[in-house]
Amino acid sequence: MPEVITVTQLNTRVKELFSRTAGLSDIWVSGEISGLTKSTSGHYYFVLKDEGSEIRCALFKGSRARIDFEPTENMKVRMFGRVDIYVTRGSYQFIVETMEKSGVGDRYVAFEKLKKKLSDEGLFAESHKRKLPLYPKTIGVVTSQTGAVIHDIITTSESRYTADILLAPAMVQGEGSAESIVAGIELLNKAGVDVIIVGRGGGSIEDLWAFNEEIVARAIYNSKVPVVSAVGHETDFTIADFVADLRAPTPTGAAALILRDKSEMRSEITSYMTRLNRAISSVLDEMQHSFEVLDSRLDPQRGLDALALQRMRIENLSKSADRALVDKMHDMILDFEGLDARLQPSRALDDMENKKEYVEASLERINVGIMTSVREKESELSSYSKQLEGVNPLNVLTRGYSMITGPGGKVLTTIDNVNVGDSVTIHMRDGKAEADIKSKEMKE
Amino acid sequence: MSDYSEEVEKMSFEESIETLEGLVKELEAGGIDLDRSIEIYEKAVILRNHCREILDEGERRIKKIMESSGSIKVEDLEFD
Repeated sequence: MPEVITVTQLNTRVKELFSRTAGLSDIWVSGEISGLTKSTSGHYYFVLKDEGSEIRCALFKGSRARIDFEPTENMKVRMFGRVDIYVTRGSYQFIVETMEKSGVGDRYVAFEKLKKKLSDEGLFAESHKRKLPLYPKTIGVVTSQTGAVIHDIITTSESRYTADILLAPAMVQGEGSAESIVAGIELLNKAGVDVIIVGRGGGSIEDLWAFNEEIVARAIYNSKVPVVSAVGHETDFTIADFVADLRAPTPTGAAALILRDKSEMRSEITSYMTRLNRAISSVLDEMQHSFEVLDSRLDPQRGLDALALQRMRIENLSKSADRALVDKMHDMILDFEGLDARLQPSRALDDMENKKEYVEASLERINVGIMTSVREKESELSSYSKQLEGVNPLNVLTRGYSMITGPGGKVLTTIDNVNVGDSVTIHMRDGKAEADIKSKEMKE
Repeated sequence: MSDYSEEVEKMSFEESIETLEGLVKELEAGGIDLDRSIEIYEKAVILRNHCREILDEGERRIKKIMESSGSIKVEDLEFD
């Protein structure tokens, strides 16, 4: 039997397909307004057309309030929004989020003009771009305290190199926002942060406009510390992005560009230690070689003095992780002392070879041991946290169950616990309700 | 070496890792005696431990800064 679906299901499928399809949302479309009607509830409906085609459009009341002019018949406009399916009718339309009048003197022209002016002045010059500090102590952030940007930055930096975060709260859209951003950049410069992120989340060109203002561009240019811009979506470019020392595609990206990943840093340290162990092995090889040369003209007392000195220093190595190495070196020296009176170069040489292998194996064990113990701790922790989740009663409530308590707060688990007329409390995931028992019935 | 531990304690992560890198390169270049080799190893272990401490124990502060009527105020950043 082939699958049969309802019309509603079909239209819902198409709606979902549209919402997932890139190029159908967060887009700009230009054309001419035609057949404009306004509903009593404040929504605007019209058709946007060009020479060859047309599309139905809806401008809802909330979006209308953000547009600073009255759309009229035959007006040439540019609109930002998304294509959506109206499931009831099976028709598609463009949902307008914001709208601009087309024509000379609009924001695009202003943008291009300012961009050229600042570029000619050298504000975008590569030679002025500063390198970000590799290990910043404090990251300054200029953005809204209530937006997602600061949260994204805090979350992303959790698993990265530890740096303090200092927010200079700023308005990032609307009147006075450019001044507010400038004040934030200047304040963070005074506070002596190591790097500054200037950003805001995605929005229409109107929303992002503060980042296209000349005073913001100049404040970024004049900042003593490097500035990373993170404005809007990856596809949005603002003047601030051109002036900044580095442009991040998103706020999350900005945090990732500034702070190194901790596990990557740990591997770097480990790789230095591996190189060190290899190098010290080759020093031991050289020693063995020298020993061979000494074969016939060995002065036991001199060798002994030198080794006694080394022993003292090795004994001072106090870190427990390297205790095994120290012990082996120590043993080696004791053995060597025993050779004092009865030195046989060929025997000593064999002995040396054994000791060298021992030291190398010890170094390897130390490194493996450290890594294993870290991994064990990590897996222990993750298993504890899973167990804890399992016994949390709140988890049961979030799955849609409720818990009922009787008078005295006792959880009701059997019909025997409850009498007609009792007041009980129903506990749900996000609150509780009082109820009276009207009747009861025992299950057969 | 306890003097060196104290010296390293004051180093930033950046200084420590750079010093560690320098020591590794010196040892790799060869031509040094056992005396210096062991000294390098001792120092490297101290530096490695210090770097790991910074990575494991570093605690960050999250604050906000504001300026009103000429005075700068820094306080904990809290979200509603």
